[in-house]
Amino acid sequence: MSFSSIYKVFFRRNAVFVGTVFASAFVFQAYFDSSITKWWESHNKGKLWDDVRLKLENGGDGDDDE
Amino acid sequence: MLSQIIKSSRATSLRTVGRTARLSTTSLANKSTYRTPNFDDVLRKDGASDRSRVYTYFMVGSLGLLSSAGAKSTVETFISSMSASADVLAMAKVEVELNAIPEGKNVVVKWQGKPVFIRHRTPHEIQEANAVEMSVLKDPQTDADRVQKPEWLIMLGICTHLGCVPIGESGDFGGWFCPCHGSHYDISGRIRKGPAPLNLEIPQYEFDGDKVIVG
Repeated sequence: MSFSSIYKVFFRRNAVFVGTVFASAFVFQAYFDSSITKWWESHNKGKLWDDVRLKLENGGDGDDDE
Repeated sequence: MLSQIIKSSRATSLRTVGRTARLSTTSLANKSTYRTPNFDDVLRKDGASDRSRVYTYFMVGSLGLLSSAGAKSTVETFISSMSASADVLAMAKVEVELNAIPEGKNVVVKWQGKPVFIRHRTPHEIQEANAVEMSVLKDPQTDADRVQKPEWLIMLGICTHLGCVPIGESGDFGGWFCPCHGSHYDISGRIRKGPAPLNLEIPQYEFDGDKVIVG
């Protein structure tokens, strides 16, 4: 795709330009959120509730229940 | 020397008159009598390919994308802070085991600070509730409108008169009786006699197996 055709498709009409920006903002946010969450979980591995719960279910007997 | 330079530059500009028309797009510029220098040496070879324009617009659009995503998440944060938090939502419902309630017995549970009456009705009581003529009711409502399953009557235990808690299995109509001002409710919780204007209120509830979830 040449630069001219990119220009004609996306930037020629302002409505298309703004619409593309807003639509890709939604897509971007979803990817951004999931990638940040993934990074956070890998950064805090072993400290999260899911990891701790497994440990409690195996080791601790009942003192945290009720 | 100086005159030579002027002469040569004039000659150049005269030569490039045809080219300036290509550079400028407006007809006004074509008619201009100003001498336009020759830019051919510094013009890019791929000047007509829109490359830098696409780059500029892409950068502008990327900034717009980032700021609109930021604005969106800011707005979302404010809106989500207005909705009820998880602990409030957890308190807003109450679960009752129905197996523990034998037929013909009342159970009162507290839901959002209010009493909820749950009655396991006998077939005879269901028949009695259905047999009532609409014309004798102050607040006409069929029994089917007030229950999801006929054997389970679930309603708010607050008298619609002034908010006392009626007493179960008493009153002239075999249902509930409000001791404060003497309102009689029948076995479907409908007002039959006394000052109360409306039937006992039905909360939102749903059955989940052997449990009922009020709220």
